[in-house]
Amino acid sequence: MVTKSDTETVQIEIFPRRFLNPDTAQRLLDEIYRSGGVLRIMIQGPNLPRAVPYGPGKGLPIEEHKNMLLELGDQAIELRVKVGRIGLELESEEDIEGVRAACERTLPFSFDIKKRQLFHTKPTVSDYAKYGSEVEDKRILGMVDPKAKKERNLAMLSDSRGDS
Amino acid sequence: MAYKPQYYPGTTSVGKNRRKHMSGDLEKLRDISDADVVTVMGHRAPGADYPSTHPPLKEMGEPDCPIRQLVEPTPGAAAGDRIRYSQFADSMYNAPSVPYWRSYWGAINCRGADPGTLSGRQIIEARERDIEQYTKVQMDSEMTDVSLSSMRGCTVHGHSLRLAEDGTMFDMLARTEMGSDGKVSYVKDQVGIPLDKKVNVGKPMSEAEVAKRTTIFRHDNVAFGGAQGARKFDEGLIALHHMWERRSRWGFRPE
Repeated sequence: MVTKSDTETVQIEIFPRRFLNPDTAQRLLDEIYRSGGVLRIMIQGPNLPRAVPYGPGKGLPIEEHKNMLLELGDQAIELRVKVGRIGLELESEEDIEGVRAACERTLPFSFDIKKRQLFHTKPTVSDYAKYGSEVEDKRILGMVDPKAKKERNLAMLSDSRGDS
Repeated sequence: MAYKPQYYPGTTSVGKNRRKHMSGDLEKLRDISDADVVTVMGHRAPGADYPSTHPPLKEMGEPDCPIRQLVEPTPGAAAGDRIRYSQFADSMYNAPSVPYWRSYWGAINCRGADPGTLSGRQIIEARERDIEQYTKVQMDSEMTDVSLSSMRGCTVHGHSLRLAEDGTMFDMLARTEMGSDGKVSYVKDQVGIPLDKKVNVGKPMSEAEVAKRTTIFRHDNVAFGGAQGARKFDEGLIALHHMWERRSRWGFRPE
């Protein structure tokens, strides 16, 4: 029988029943971050383009999607999606309850929390093309889409490695 | 006895609503002005002349044709209007006219129209003054709920996505907005070009109301196969199986 080590991290996905407004997402992330034990956060959802992508209005700016920032710790990142899922890597199983309590406090509708493997553990071909043969900080694996810009979509909240 | 079309089988509310949509016997819920409908469609400015692709039929001198004598042209065709379209996206969260039902309505009730259904959107094309009239019927009637349906000429993504916090269907181009008074307004036309003036389309239906008026079978409302634990197939499903079986048999062995 395999005994789980005390240091084994756990990955969960928060799936709210509705898409989150930027301010709700901000409040939820603040609460989750405060609850502690968070190693990685990934936000997913449908894209919110900055300009009309197709049709006769192509290229027109979409003012509603501008200047949406998520601030966490001492970092700010531009919100470019409608928040639909939040993936988390936590230090341990015990941290899940803190996240659940944060969701209950913040979300005005129901949500699911599923435990599952969210981030890949080995570099993929896309990672090789993006980061090269040596990935110094393994925490960035699986954090951004292969085509997304790392600098724009990824923020390091702390330099301390989660597993060290 | 005069023949009365049956349109669609089934005794559930969904079956009844589908029959209503197909027959065109729709309840009018709101009155959006012609100018506002034209504004949201975005093909011409309200009050502007209709551009034409050919002279009026009367001036053209049509060939002697029994079909042309039999079929009266629509106003748009008679005037030589351009072909234009309106396209709607309807949420799978109990929108009143989910894919196919706008198209069925269009195919059965609208003359000179070319309806089409794609994944999560339904388009109807017709001569400009005809499609304006058809679009107004759709926007005014119970086919449309202002938070779960919206006119989207492009970037239509939203049908199968979760709703936003305020209960509106996701829209990548933010064409509609929910005001503080709970009323929904179009701030952009159907292709995402900002409007000079907002078009107020009124308050959305309540959740109970859309559940009553929807044409989608859902496990959490009216299920296709009856309630859980008490399986009883809707007549619509039995008819569908029947058609499926016949089609498959004919497909494989046409004799």
